[in-house]
Amino acid sequence: MNARLVGAVILREWRTRVFKRSFVLGTVLLPIASIGFMVGAVMLTESSVVRNVVLIEDAPGLITALDVSSGQYVPRCPGCFPERENLVYHFTREAPTDSVWKAQGHTVLVEYDESILQNHSGYLVYEKSPGGTAKRHIERDLSRAMEHARVRQSTELDWSAYQRLKMELTLFDRGIEDGQRVQGGGDEVRGSIGFLFSAVLLIVLFVYGGVILRSVVEEKANHVVEVLIAAVEPEDLLLGKVVGLGAVAVTQLVAWSILSSMGFVAFQSLYDSGALGVAAAVGSSDVPVDLLTVMGENGALVHLLNINWPLMVVGSIAFYIGGYLLYGSLFAAVGSSVHSEQEGQGMVFPVTMPLMFGYFAATMVIENPDLPILEWLGWFPLTSPVIMLVRMASGVALWEVVASWVLLMLTARLVLGLAGKVYRFSVLHDGSRSGWQLLLHWVRGNGQ
Amino acid sequence: MSTTLQVHQLAKSYGAQHVLDGVTFEVPQGEIVGLLGPNGAGKSTLIRSIMGIVKPDAGEIRLSGQPWSRSAVQGVGYLPEERGLYKDMRVGEQAVYFAQLKGMQKADAVAALRTWFERLEVEGWWDKKVSDISKGMAQKIQFICTVVHRPSLLILDEPLSGFDPINARRIIKEVRALAAEGTSVLLSTHDMPSVERLCDRVVLLNRGKVVLAGPSESLRESGWDGTQEVLFKGTDMAFTVALGALAHLDALEPSSVEGIRKARLRLRSGVTPAALLSALMASVDIVEFIKVRPTMESLFIGAVERAKDSETPAAT
Repeated sequence: MNARLVGAVILREWRTRVFKRSFVLGTVLLPIASIGFMVGAVMLTESSVVRNVVLIEDAPGLITALDVSSGQYVPRCPGCFPERENLVYHFTREAPTDSVWKAQGHTVLVEYDESILQNHSGYLVYEKSPGGTAKRHIERDLSRAMEHARVRQSTELDWSAYQRLKMELTLFDRGIEDGQRVQGGGDEVRGSIGFLFSAVLLIVLFVYGGVILRSVVEEKANHVVEVLIAAVEPEDLLLGKVVGLGAVAVTQLVAWSILSSMGFVAFQSLYDSGALGVAAAVGSSDVPVDLLTVMGENGALVHLLNINWPLMVVGSIAFYIGGYLLYGSLFAAVGSSVHSEQEGQGMVFPVTMPLMFGYFAATMVIENPDLPILEWLGWFPLTSPVIMLVRMASGVALWEVVASWVLLMLTARLVLGLAGKVYRFSVLHDGSRSGWQLLLHWVRGNGQ
Repeated sequence: MSTTLQVHQLAKSYGAQHVLDGVTFEVPQGEIVGLLGPNGAGKSTLIRSIMGIVKPDAGEIRLSGQPWSRSAVQGVGYLPEERGLYKDMRVGEQAVYFAQLKGMQKADAVAALRTWFERLEVEGWWDKKVSDISKGMAQKIQFICTVVHRPSLLILDEPLSGFDPINARRIIKEVRALAAEGTSVLLSTHDMPSVERLCDRVVLLNRGKVVLAGPSESLRESGWDGTQEVLFKGTDMAFTVALGALAHLDALEPSSVEGIRKARLRLRSGVTPAALLSALMASVDIVEFIKVRPTMESLFIGAVERAKDSETPAAT
């Protein structure tokens, strides 16, 4: 390998793309769009919070009693209707007409009769839907109140005894690492992050694989290739091309990361300052709330903080590079075997099938990261780039990551060499064959 | 004189087809050698073999006396027939890239390219995109990219295609200048007039074999069939009487100049041009006495026809 010539090819591929106006625009616009999406999502969440005032018509008098001092009906089990933000309960024995209870400021009416204890059903009446969350809260609160009513009717139990006997289990995850018990759980949350990383890799491989394919086809169409391979060995030329375009991808990802981080910090500052009006909505308390605290308090988000982010970032870049070299070489081989980009697109699907299979297998990693078949796919170089990204997020031994990556890189180098031979053969071929026909011709040893 | 390129018994086959069959020739230093041949003769395969793009089955290629190697090819400038440039790159940036691929340092490449750009009057196009320049301009840039690293051997495949006559003349001038400075040139072309104007030697390939090779002048001289062209003042009667049995008269007609007649004739065996001239001078005023040697085109066609005849089985 002539490192100086490979370096020149890398630099050309990198410079001609990174200094393009379209590249700069794409690199700047994506983080802006991402932050805009995040802000939009928060705003949407904020605007979607609806305050529901629920009127419960307890006609059979199962769960309410008249409070003489206030003259209002109140729940016999006050704890069954906890104080909730955006959900307020009022009780009555006989509801007025729909127009009246609405005029009174109620948004939802709950009505039932004596049969509720047997049928386990009643009616939720509204003009505008209270939303799924509010409905679930109302159902749960009313169910507890009905349980309370049934216990009260029983001669053998009282409510406090029932509460003591009732049992709801919570199992906390505890993993074993190096013989030590550590906090576990959150596989799905962490796996989803890995899945997101693998999705980005998939997109990057398809986008830049396409660029490699197009680049090779264009060189053939421009008739530049004959001058090139008279100066540089095809394998070196191909290596420079794939690495150069890989460098473009890394440049874009790094730029996106930096710009997105800056955007996130700006968003966090706005969020924490309450300028977005979101912090106040998190709780009615007077205690200031910052974004990381909110994440820490969220059961799902706390698992994100448990991801080994340094390994995740370094590992992602490493597997991106490895995946790039491997699939980039395959795309280059496809590009060199065809006469047009359109013809090449027809060959891309079978070449990328292992990658797609790996991507779908990655969804299984989210559900069950320790399935043996998925561990094997993590070692298989054609699927390891996507599988290992998910496994790294879910938690995997460092040696496995390193060994899988080394195997990936060795395979990539091997495929690169083979692709270089195809490249040389196809460039010099008389043009009577193309695509699979040409590859088959080469495999059969009918080359020069 | 040293030899820049030696090709010895080169052979290359694709399946049962022998594209090159024992090709042997040399390109001496500072000479321009024309590589001629009909389509499919094996010229491109021969050039690609020299450039290391195609691996020959047998034979030897030596560059400047050394066995062929990738590093030796760095000293060769190659302008293929099917050539192009990256459309999305700027002209100067692209020329620097190609120079670097030929082993030049960037600073040296920029300096040399600036000189060449001025020499061929394209200095204003350095920062233009290739997509913005004309085909002729692109051809000039490609020529510059081929010669900028001062190669010891230039391989030019149809270098004048796409050039207008003025720019073609300029390129010919530059090729001559490079040869005068010691660069050897292998020129593959179908343009016979440019072969006559440029080439010191020719190698004619037909069906993978060398069918004619040697210095251009020698080949034309050896192919001369005694044809002479004579421009004279005098009567046709006096001219033909003086001609006698010395030559066979092919044509006698007025020339483009009034009062001057033009005759085309072929010397009979054993008669020298000097003997004919002295016989004619006694009867008419000789204005011009021209030895008409065969053109490269007629030599080319004749050699190919002879090769074809020799391969045709005799009729029974």
